[in-house]
Amino acid sequence: MELSTRKTLDRAFSGTGMFSICLMTASLLVILLPVFAKGIKAFVFRETIENRKMILEQFHRGDSAALDIEWESARTARQPVYDAMQAFRIELDTLEGSRRRELRSSFREVESALQSLLGPEPGSTLSPLLRNRYGQTRWDRAQVKLQQVLFREAWDYSRPGEAGTRQWIPRKQTFAGTRLEPMFDHLETKLDSMLQPRWTFYWRFLSDDSRDSHLFGGIWPEVLGTLYLTIGAMLFAVPMGVIAAIYLTEYARPGRVVQILRTCISTLAGVPSIVFGLFGLAFFINTLQVSSSKSVLAGSMTLALLILPTIIRASEEAILAVPRTYKEAALSLGSGTWNMILTVLLPAALPGILTGIVISMGRAAGETAPIIFTAAVSVGKPLTLLQTLTQPTPALPWNIYNLATEHAAVEEIRHVQFGMVLTLVVMVLILNATAIAIRARIARRMKG
Amino acid sequence: MPDSRILNVSRDLVLSRRASQIQRLTSLLGRSFLFMVTSVSVLAVLFIIIFITRDAFPFFQIRGFREFFTSTHWFPSGNPPEFGALSIITGSALVAMGAAIVAVPLGVLAAVCLSDVLPFSLRQVAKPIIEILAAIPSVAYGFFALVIFAPALQEHGGIILTVCLWMLALPAALLAATVISDLVVAGIPTSRRPAMRGICWLTLVGGALFALVQGSGHLLDLTISSGTNALNVSIILGIMALPTVVSVSEDALQAVGRDLREGSYALGATRAETLVKTIIPAAASGIAAASILGIMRAVGETMVVWMASGNAAQIPTPWYNLLQPVRTLTATIAGDMGEADHVLGSARYHVLFAMALSLLLFSFGSNFVSEHIGRKFRSRQAGG
Repeated sequence: MELSTRKTLDRAFSGTGMFSICLMTASLLVILLPVFAKGIKAFVFRETIENRKMILEQFHRGDSAALDIEWESARTARQPVYDAMQAFRIELDTLEGSRRRELRSSFREVESALQSLLGPEPGSTLSPLLRNRYGQTRWDRAQVKLQQVLFREAWDYSRPGEAGTRQWIPRKQTFAGTRLEPMFDHLETKLDSMLQPRWTFYWRFLSDDSRDSHLFGGIWPEVLGTLYLTIGAMLFAVPMGVIAAIYLTEYARPGRVVQILRTCISTLAGVPSIVFGLFGLAFFINTLQVSSSKSVLAGSMTLALLILPTIIRASEEAILAVPRTYKEAALSLGSGTWNMILTVLLPAALPGILTGIVISMGRAAGETAPIIFTAAVSVGKPLTLLQTLTQPTPALPWNIYNLATEHAAVEEIRHVQFGMVLTLVVMVLILNATAIAIRARIARRMKG
Repeated sequence: MPDSRILNVSRDLVLSRRASQIQRLTSLLGRSFLFMVTSVSVLAVLFIIIFITRDAFPFFQIRGFREFFTSTHWFPSGNPPEFGALSIITGSALVAMGAAIVAVPLGVLAAVCLSDVLPFSLRQVAKPIIEILAAIPSVAYGFFALVIFAPALQEHGGIILTVCLWMLALPAALLAATVISDLVVAGIPTSRRPAMRGICWLTLVGGALFALVQGSGHLLDLTISSGTNALNVSIILGIMALPTVVSVSEDALQAVGRDLREGSYALGATRAETLVKTIIPAAASGIAAASILGIMRAVGETMVVWMASGNAAQIPTPWYNLLQPVRTLTATIAGDMGEADHVLGSARYHVLFAMALSLLLFSFGSNFVSEHIGRKFRSRQAGG
C-alpha cells in the first residue's frame, strides 16, 4: 500500500472514532433537547382565565377581586356565543326533518367542543367531574380545541385502494344561513378576550397535588414518592454497601470465600431489573410480608438490592484509592484496625464513596421495573412518613409510563408527561453533576 | 528504681490475659458482623434464584417444557390458555441483536477514540457525556421512543433511514474505493499508476453511488405501518447499551499497556495500523466481555421495550424484519403481572416466573462468560 493511502486510512480511522463520539453526543442532544423544550412548557405557559379560576377554587391561591373583574369582561365577550347558541336551539325546532337531524348531531359536537373550550355554559348544573367544570386552562390547548369547534374532521375515501386522507371541513359551511353561523367568526376573533391568556411561571407544578387524574394541578405526590423510595433505598443500601466494601478491602483474605462473594456481587449487578421486581413481590411482600400489599418499604428494599453492587464497588474503589501510607501511619501510632478505619480510612475515602452513593441515588430514582409490583400506584395522595411503611405511592418513573400509555386523555396531558420526564431527568442530572464535581475535587486534591 | 509513670504506661500497653481475650473476642465478633453484612449480596442472589425458581416450577409442572419453548401461540387468557413463548423469546433475542448491531461497533470505535486518539482535554469532555447517557432513566428513554421517535419513524421513516444509510455508507464507500484502487495499481509500473488509480477510483465510486441511489430509492418508498417496532427499540436500546460497551472496552484497551503500542510505532506502523493489528486483538477478550455486558443490558431492559416495541407476540416475517412490532420477555412480565396477580397459583401467574427464570439464567450465563473472559484477559495482562 502506498504511504498516502496508509495515511488516509489512519485519518479515516481517527475520523470514524470521532464520528461515533459525535453520534453519541448527537443522540444525547436529540433525546434531551425535546424533553427540555417541551418539559419546560409544564412550568412556563400562557394560562387562561380558566386556569386562574381553577387555581383559586381548587388550591385557594390568587386574587379573587382581580379575577372577578377579569371574569366579568370575559363573560361579556362570551355572551354573544351563548346568545347565538340559544337562538339556534330555537331555530333548530323550526327546521324541517332531514336538515334538522343533520344539524342536530353536528350541533351536539359543537356544544361539547365549546364546553371543553370555554367551560360549562352559564346556568348549567355543576358536574362532579372536575374536567367538565373548567374550560381549557392552557392557551396552546385552547387553540387545538378552537380548531375542533371551527372544523369537522372528515376522511376522504374517494380513491379506492388507498388510505383515506384527512380533511378539515369548516363548520361554518355546515351551519351556513343559520343563526349559529356568526358565532364561529366571533369565536375565532374574540377568543383572546374570552380566555384572557397571560404568561405564567407555574413553579408550583412541583408542589401541587394533581386533580382529576393529572388533568389539573401538579405532580407533588409523584415527586414525594420518588424521594421516599430513593431515600428509603439509600437507608438500606448505603450502610450495607459501605460495610461490605470495608470487609472486602480490609478484612477479607483472598481465597475461595472472597471469590464467591465477588462473583455474587457481580451476578447481582447483572440481574435484570424486572426480575428484582418479581423477587420483591415474591419475597418481601408474599413471603416476608413486610407489608400486606405494595408499599414504599417493600419498594425501597427491592431498590436497595438493585443498587447494592454499585455502592459496594464504588466504596471499594474509593477505599483502595486511599494511600497505604495513611493506614500505616495510623497503625504505627498505635491505633487499632477498627479505629483506623473509622478515623483515617473512611474520612479519606468519603468523597469517593459519596460519588458512588450519589450516582446510585440517581439510578434508584429512575428505576421503574422494580417498583411496578412492589411500590407504585397510578393515583394517590402524598404520603406521610408513617404511611410509607404500609402504603403504595405514585412515583415519577411509574407515572410517566402510566400517563404516556394508559391515561384516557393522553394527548391532553402531554405537557404533564413532559414535565414529569423533565423533573426526573433534571433530578438525575443534578445528582450526576454533583458526582462529577466531587470527583473533580478529588482529582485536584490528588494532584497536590 | 524505674519511674512509676513508665510502669503505668507499660501496664497499659501490655494487656492482661483477660483484656486480651476480650479484645480478641470483640474483634472476632466485629469481623463476623462485617462478614454477615457482606454476605447479604450472596443471600440476595441465592434467594432470587430460589424464589424465582420456586414460582416458576409449578408452571413447568402443569404445562411441561415443550410448549413454552417451541410453540408460538401466546394466549394466556384464552380458553383453553396457550403458553407458547417462542415468539416472545425470539422478540427478546431480536431486539438484543439489533441493539448489539448499533452499540458494539459504535461503542468500540468510541472507546478506541477515547483511549488512543483524543487529547486529554477532549477526553475530559467526552467522559461526562457517556456518564449522562448512562444516567438517564430507562423510562425517559422509553418515553422518548414512544412519544417522539415512534411518530417520527412512522411518518418520516424512509427519510431517516436514507439519511442514516448515506451517512454510514458514503464515507465507507469512498474509503474502500481508495484502498481497493491502491491495491489494484500496486502491480503496474510507477509511471502509469496515478492515471490508473484515478480511473479505478472513479469507477468504484461511481458504482457505489449508483448502488446507494438505488438503495435509497427503495428505502424512500418504504412505508412503516407503525413506529413502535423492533427497529425503534433496537436503536434506543443500542444507545442505552453504549455507555457500558464504551467504558468496559476502554478499560480493556487501557490495560493493554504502552509497550505494545510503542513497539508497533517503532516498527513504523501508523496509529490505525497499531490499533487494528495490535491493540484491538490484544484487548479482544475485554471487548468481547464489554459486548456481552451491553447485550445483557439490552435483554434485561424493561421500560423501553414495554413502551415502544409494539408488544405483539409474533415472529416477524422474515425473522430479521425489524420494522414489525415484537414482544419481549421483560415487557411480558411487566405487562401481564397486573392481570395475573389476581389469579395467584394459576399457570398464568407462574408462566411469568418461568420467563423471569429464563432471563435470570441468561444473565447468569452471560455474566459468567464475561467474568471468565475478563479474568483470563487480566491474568494474561498481568503475566505479560
